[in-house]
Amino acid sequence: MLIPHPLLGLRDAQEFTYLGDAALLNRPDPAAGEAAFADYVYLRDNPASVHRELWFHEQGDRSWLVVTRNTLTHEILGAELARDVKLGGTA
Amino acid sequence: MTDLIPMGPLGTPDPARATHGALTLTENTALMLIAVATRPGTPAPHPLGLHLPGPGLWSQGQGAAAFWTGPGQWMIETDVPDHAERLRDAIRSAPGARLTEQSDGWICVEVTSDAGAAPIRALLERLVNLSPDQVAPGHATRTLLHHLGCIVIRRGEDHLAVLAPRSAAGSLWHLLSETASRQVPVATV
Repeated sequence: MLIPHPLLGLRDAQEFTYLGDAALLNRPDPAAGEAAFADYVYLRDNPASVHRELWFHEQGDRSWLVVTRNTLTHEILGAELARDVKLGGTA
Repeated sequence: MTDLIPMGPLGTPDPARATHGALTLTENTALMLIAVATRPGTPAPHPLGLHLPGPGLWSQGQGAAAFWTGPGQWMIETDVPDHAERLRDAIRSAPGARLTEQSDGWICVEVTSDAGAAPIRALLERLVNLSPDQVAPGHATRTLLHHLGCIVIRRGEDHLAVLAPRSAAGSLWHLLSETASRQVPVATV
């Protein structure tokens, strides 16, 4: 599987480690209460289709990516730098 | 005072050297490395006029070279001790830039070919899962070689350099010499 790194082009998935749902970027406000944090820490959607997930380019430039992948076909639909997604940058 | 014997990453007093067909492996013990990082939003510094290149690239300057290691991060290489000191001073005075000394943290093996680019290309095909344009001359990237995180620098058509963590020096020398020694002879283009 090849991951289209936004800066480095197509790279072997072996260079990456997988974290999971990109919803982890949306950490609740510290004052949001226990229920919101229990939801954030423990509950994930597990869609059988297009999924946005976090991948870490550990054996490359060590950047975090948000990869959009179809969990049924393993088709990679896109990848962007998690920093840009989180901070609303160029991506 | 204790009389210490200087030795390289492979534990030998002199740089290791081996020839396999058209390829020669030479340990580069003179190389000094300085990692540079900038704050987000800070433009790339130009220490002593050295150009810090974009993603996946390596650039050669006067007495030093630099390659990209991550967003806002580079590694500078030089083999001139005085120049390294001047570079460190230049980075310290650049706004928003920080440096980390990396010399002696890595082993560097220079692979040169006396039959042009073909033996280097054949070696790369067997070493890294990257397309030829990602390891074309002037490119540098961190990737996996035999499950070992390494930095691969294509210094020229017939010149490749591989950096690995110093603690993995023996593994790097083994994998490079094994792969080079099993090369099928290729016709020179």
